Amino acid sequence: MATRSSTADDVMMEIEASKPAGNGIVVGGLSPLSESLWKEKTDTDFVGDVSARLAWKDLTVMVTLGNGDTQNVLENLSGYAEPGSFTALMGPSGSGKSTLLDALSGRLAANAFLSGTILLNGRKAKLSFGTAAYVTQDDNLIGTLTVRETISYSARLRLPDRMPWPDKRALVESTIVEMGLQDCADTVIGNWHLRGISGGEKRRVSIAVEILMRPRLLFLDEPTSGLDSASAFFVTQTLRALSRDGRTVIASIHQPSSEVFELFDRLYLLSGGKTVYFGQASEAYEARSLFFAQAGFPCPALRNPSDHFLRCINSDFDKVKATLKGSMKLRFESTDDPLDKVTTGEATRTLIDSYRASQYCYLANQKIEEMSKVKGTVLDSGGSQASFLMQAFTLTIRSFINMSRDFGYYWLRLIIYIVVTVCIGTIYFNVGTGYNSILARGACASFVFGFVTFMSIGGFPSFVEDMKVFQRERLNGHYGVTAFVISNTLSAMPFLILICFISGTVCYYMVRLHPGFMHYVFFVLCLYASVTVVESLMMAIASVVPNFLMGIIIGAGIQGIFMLVSGYFRLPNDIPKPFWRYPMSYISFHFWALQGQYQNDLKGLVFDGQSPETKIPGDYILEYVFQIDVHRSKWIDLSVLFSMIILYRIFFFIMIKVNEDVTPWIRGYIARRRIQQKNANQNTTVTPFGLTKSPSLRAYVQNRASGNGKR
Amino acid sequence: MEIDVAGGDVEAGLPRNGGEAYLVWEDLNVMLPNFGQGPTKKLLHGLNGHAEPGRIMAIMGPSGSGKSTLLDTLAGRLARNIVMTGNILLNGKKRRLDFGVVAYVTQEDVLLGTLTVRETISYSANLRLPSTLSKEEVKGIVEGTIMELGLLDCADTQVGNWQLRGISGGEKKRLSIALEILTRPRLLFLDEPTSGLDSASAFFVIQSIKNLARDGRTVISSIHQPSSEVFALFDDLYLLSGGETVYFGEAKLALKEETHKTSDPLMNLATADIKSILVEKYRRSDYASKARLRSREISNLQELEIKTIKGSPARWWKQLLTLTERSFLNMLRDPGYYWSRIVIYTIVGLCVGTLFYDVGTSYTAILARGACGGFITGFMTFMSIGGFPSFIEEMKVFYRERLNGYYGVGVFILANFISSFPFLVAVSVITGTITFYMVKFRPEFSHYVFFCLNIFGSIAMVESVMMIVASLVPNFMLGIITGAGVLGIMMMTAGFFRLLPDLPKPFWRYPVSYIGYGAWSLQGAYKNDMIGLVFDPLVPGDPKLKGEDIISNMFGIPLDHSKWWDLFALYALIICYRFLFFLILKAKERIGPFFQSLYAKRALHRFKKRPSFKRKPSFSNVSSSKRHSNLHSLSSQEGLNSPIP
Repeated sequence: MATRSSTADDVMMEIEASKPAGNGIVVGGLSPLSESLWKEKTDTDFVGDVSARLAWKDLTVMVTLGNGDTQNVLENLSGYAEPGSFTALMGPSGSGKSTLLDALSGRLAANAFLSGTILLNGRKAKLSFGTAAYVTQDDNLIGTLTVRETISYSARLRLPDRMPWPDKRALVESTIVEMGLQDCADTVIGNWHLRGISGGEKRRVSIAVEILMRPRLLFLDEPTSGLDSASAFFVTQTLRALSRDGRTVIASIHQPSSEVFELFDRLYLLSGGKTVYFGQASEAYEARSLFFAQAGFPCPALRNPSDHFLRCINSDFDKVKATLKGSMKLRFESTDDPLDKVTTGEATRTLIDSYRASQYCYLANQKIEEMSKVKGTVLDSGGSQASFLMQAFTLTIRSFINMSRDFGYYWLRLIIYIVVTVCIGTIYFNVGTGYNSILARGACASFVFGFVTFMSIGGFPSFVEDMKVFQRERLNGHYGVTAFVISNTLSAMPFLILICFISGTVCYYMVRLHPGFMHYVFFVLCLYASVTVVESLMMAIASVVPNFLMGIIIGAGIQGIFMLVSGYFRLPNDIPKPFWRYPMSYISFHFWALQGQYQNDLKGLVFDGQSPETKIPGDYILEYVFQIDVHRSKWIDLSVLFSMIILYRIFFFIMIKVNEDVTPWIRGYIARRRIQQKNANQNTTVTPFGLTKSPSLRAYVQNRASGNGKR
Repeated sequence: MEIDVAGGDVEAGLPRNGGEAYLVWEDLNVMLPNFGQGPTKKLLHGLNGHAEPGRIMAIMGPSGSGKSTLLDTLAGRLARNIVMTGNILLNGKKRRLDFGVVAYVTQEDVLLGTLTVRETISYSANLRLPSTLSKEEVKGIVEGTIMELGLLDCADTQVGNWQLRGISGGEKKRLSIALEILTRPRLLFLDEPTSGLDSASAFFVIQSIKNLARDGRTVISSIHQPSSEVFALFDDLYLLSGGETVYFGEAKLALKEETHKTSDPLMNLATADIKSILVEKYRRSDYASKARLRSREISNLQELEIKTIKGSPARWWKQLLTLTERSFLNMLRDPGYYWSRIVIYTIVGLCVGTLFYDVGTSYTAILARGACGGFITGFMTFMSIGGFPSFIEEMKVFYRERLNGYYGVGVFILANFISSFPFLVAVSVITGTITFYMVKFRPEFSHYVFFCLNIFGSIAMVESVMMIVASLVPNFMLGIITGAGVLGIMMMTAGFFRLLPDLPKPFWRYPVSYIGYGAWSLQGAYKNDMIGLVFDPLVPGDPKLKGEDIISNMFGIPLDHSKWWDLFALYALIICYRFLFFLILKAKERIGPFFQSLYAKRALHRFKKRPSFKRKPSFSNVSSSKRHSNLHSLSSQEGLNSPIP
C-alpha cells in the first residue's frame, strides 16, 4: 500500500508538472456515473484527467511459423489514439487489423513477437487484463441468461463490494440504455436449442459487458461483422457516442457502408501490415478522397469511398483478375477507372510511398512525439474489484441459474436416468435371494455403477460451453480459477443430489436390495459420489484435451478401462498384478464403488444354494465368490470416492494454472531460441531486447508488482 | 487459347437442355399461417417479375425482407408450414421447379471435407452425367468447369473440415456453384453467394456467375450489401422490403432514378415512410408498367420447350460405383471415421488381452470367460458410436444431393455398406485376433473364425442402429444420447447382466431380447467358447464340469440350436435394420410433401372462412426460410471449432 500511495504521489507531481503542456486535447465531460466509479477505483484523492492517450511507435510483429521461418505480420506501424475520438482500422482481410489490436492489448499468440513501444499517457504500459477492455470477435455468452441478467451478474462479479446495490443497478441500467438494449433486456441470449436475441444484439451485449467498468480504453475487433447494415450502423453510432464520453475507442472494421464510414473520426488504413493512410477519416473522404486523389487514385463518382479504399489496396484483386483473364472468356466492361490499368499491388506500393512522403505521416509522427513527452495518469484499473467471496457467490448463483435453464445440462440427464433406472428396476424386479440372484445382484450393482454413471458424459457439451465463457472472462480478468471451480462444484450439487436421489430410490426399491434404511442411504450416497467423480473426471479431461469430440472419446475410453478393472468383469484376485491390479484398479472409482456396494448389499443376507436345502451366507459369497475385502468397512470405500472428487478438482485447477502460466512460457522460450539460432546464423538485425514475453497472468501480476516499485 | 478450346469442348460434349429459360412469376403471395394466437404473417405480397436468359438478376433488401423466401418459393423448396399462392411460369407453362429443373445453390456449403476440389467435381460429374459420355468427355467437362470458375489453383487442395484447414470460403462457394452448373442447367438460383466473403472473393464469385449468365443462362441471386464493384456486375435489380417490391428493372437505371451515390443508401429501407413512398412510387412508375408488359410478353412464349431431366441420367450401377469409391476415399482420409476406431479397438483389445491373459480352465475361469465374452460383444462394440459424427457429415451431403436428385436412397445405403466393409473387417479381425489369442480361448482355427465373424456382426449391427438413430433424430448430441440409451438397453437384455431365463417375460424377454443383437451374439460367443471344454470344479475332487452343462445351467442358454444359427440371426437382423433405415428415408421423402399439400389445402380453406386476415409487415424476428431458424453447422453447434485452449 505504501508503494502504491507513493506512486500516486509521483503521478500527481508529474501531472502537475506537465499540466500546462496539456495542448488542448478536447476531453469530453465524464458522465456522472463513470466519474463516481473512477473516484471509487483510483482510491486516491485526485480525480483529474483519467483519459487514456495511446500512442504506438515502430510496432513490428514477427511470427515464427511451424518450420522455423519468421514472417513480419506488422511492419513499423506508428499511430496514436486520443480520448474523445473514434479510430477505425480498415484493410482487406489478412492485412493485420486484428494483429494490431492484439498487439496493442497484449494478447498476441505465443509464437508472435512484438517490438516497438506502446505508450499509454506517455508511459510504457501493458494493456492486458483489464487496463484496456477488448471485445473480441466471438460472443461467448451464457445462452440461458437474459440480457439484463448477463450484465448485472457481470457487474456483481467486478464492481467493488462496498458500492451499494442501487448504484450497481443504476450502472447496469444505464449501460443497457447506452447500448440500446432496452427492448431485449429481458430476452434470453439464446444458444443452439434456444432462440434468443439477434446477432447484432449479441454483439452489443458483448460490448456492454466490457464497457460496464467504464474503461478509458476500448478495443473492438470487427464489431460489425455479420450484422446487417442497420445494426452495423447502430453499433458504430454507439461506439462513436462512447468515444464522445472522453473514451479512447479503436475498432477494426471490415467493409463499412458509407453511412458507417462517415462516423469515423480517424482512419487507419492497413495493407499487408503496412500503413497506407493514417489521419482524419473526413480528409480521406470529403474532398473526394484528398489523399487518394493526390496519390493518383481518385474515388469514382458512384462509388462508396470505403469500397474504393479497399479496392485500391486489396492485392487479392490482382489474383482474381489474373485468374479471370486466364480462365474465362473475359467480358469486362471497359471503364475509365485508373485501377484497371495498374495492378493493385502497384497501387498499394504507390500509396504506401506517397503516405510516407505526405504531410499526414509527418503530422502523425509529430503528434506521437508530443504525446510521448506528456506523462499522464497511470491507468491501472485491472480486472475485478470485487472480493473473492462476492465473486464465488455471484458465480455460483449464475451457474445455478444457467444449469436450471439449460435443458441439456441436467434435466435431460434426469429424464434419461429415470428411464434407465426404471428399465433396470423392471429387469431385476424383486431380485430375491435365490441362487441365481447372487450373480444378478452383482450384475445389477455393476450395471448401475458402470453404465449409469457413464451417462454423465451427456452434460459435457454444456460444460464445454461454460468453459468457453470462463476462458473469455478469465482473459479479461473478471475472476480467478478458484472461484470458478468452487462455484461450479456448489451449483451442480443440488442437481446431482436430485438425480441420484430419484434414480437411486427407484432402483433400490424396485429391485429390493438389502432391507434397512442405512443401506439405502449408503446406496444413494455411493451413486452420488460416483456420478460426481465422473463429472470431475470430465472436467479434468476438458482442461487437457483440445476439443469436444476428443474429450468425449477419451472420457469414454478411460471409463471403459476403469470398468474393466473394477472387479466385476474379472475378479479382483485374478486381475494381473503388475499394471492392472496395482495402480489401475485402485485408481478406478468403479472398484471402490463396487467394493462398497457389494458389502452394503450382501452382508447379512442368506442365499439359497444350488440345491434348495443348502444355504449360503452373504459374507461367504463376498469373500469367496466376489473376492471382496470384507475387513475394510464400506464407509471407508465411500470416503475414498469422495476424496477422488477433490483430487480431480485439484487436478483441474492445476491444469488450468499450468495452461495459463507454464505452457505460454515454454512455447515462447522455444520460439525465442529458434529466433536466436536464426539470428546467429543469418546475423539479422532483430535485437533480443525487442522481444517481449507473451502475456501470462502471473507474469503480469509480477511485472505490475515490481514495475510499481521501479517506476 | 487452349482454354477456349476446352470451353468449346464443354459446350459440344453436353446435351443441350433445349432452349432458353424464361421465368415469370405472377401475383406471388406467401404466408405463414398462424391458427392459434396472433395474426397470420404475410412474407411476400403479390410479387410480379420475370427473369430472362443471358441476364443476371440481384434480389436485394434488408434482412428479413423476404429475399430467401422468394428464392425458396421459385425453387419450390418452402418450409412445411408455409402456404403459397400465385403462378410461376417457365416458358409460359406452369410447373414445379424442384429436383433438377433449377440448380439452386443454397447458403451453406455442404461438401465432403476430405475430398479435393477436382475429386468433388469429378465424382459429382460421374454421378449425374449420362453414362453414354466417354471418360475423356467427362474429364473435359470437369476440367472446363474448374477453369470456368477459376478453381485451377486449388484444384488439388482438400476442401477441409473442422480438423483440416482447406480451401477458403470464396473457393468453397465457387465449388458449390461448380457442382450445380455441371449439368448445364438453364436456370441458376443462388442464395446470398457472397455472405461471409471479403470484397475480392465476393467480386470473383459474382464475376464468375456473370460469365455463366452470358452463356445464355438465367441467373437469379439474392445478395446482401454488395460493394459498389459487385453491384455494378448485375443486370437487373429486384428490390424487396417487407415482402413488397420496391423496384424491379435494370440495375443501372435504379441508381439514376433514386439519385443515390451507391447501392448502400437503398438498403436502409427499414424506415417505414421512405419505404411506403418508394413502394407507391414504384407501383405508378414506368418501370412497373414496362416490367408488366415484358412479363406478359414472355409468358405468352409457348413454343420454347425446356427438356427437364428428372433425376440423374447416369445408370444406377455407375452411380453405385462412383458413390462407393467416393465414400471409401472419404473414410480412408477422415481419421475420425474408422482410423481412430481401429486405434482405440487395438488399445482396448490389448487391455482385455492382458487382463484376461491365458484364462485357462479353472473354476473362476468360467466366470472370467463369460465376462470376457460379455465385454467384447457388449462394451467393445458399443464404442462404434465414435464414428457417428463422421456419418452425420456424410448424411448431410446425402440430403443435399438427394434434394437435387443426384441418386436414390438405395444406392446410397448400398454404397455406404460396401465402402465401410473393408474397414469393419479390419476392425473385427484386429480385435478378434488380439483378444482371441491373448486370452487363449480355444486352440481351433474354426472357433477363431466364428469369433471374428461374431464381432464383425456386432459392430455392423451397432452401425445400423446408429444409422436409424441418425435418420430420426435432428441433431448430433441427441443422436449420441439416444444411441447410447438404445444400445444400453440391448446390452442389458443380452443375457449377461441378467440371465435370459430370469428376464421378465412380457416386455424384456419377448420382443426386446430377440430384436437386440446382444442376446444373439452373446449366445453365439458362449457356445463357441465353452462347448467341448471341461472346467475344474469348485471343490477339488468333485467331477469336472462340462462346458455344455455350464452354458445351460449357469448361463441359462438353451442348447437347442447351434452357434451358427445365432450368427445367422445376427446377420439377418443387420439386413433388417438396414432395410428399416431405407424405409425411414423413403418415408420421410414421401410423407413430407403429402402432409404439406394437405396442410396448405386446409390452411387455404380456413382463410376463406375468415373475413380478412390482418396484414402485418414482417420484421425479421419471425421468418419462414430455414436461414433464419438459427442454422448452425455441426461443428459450431457442438463447439468443435473452438478448442479449449
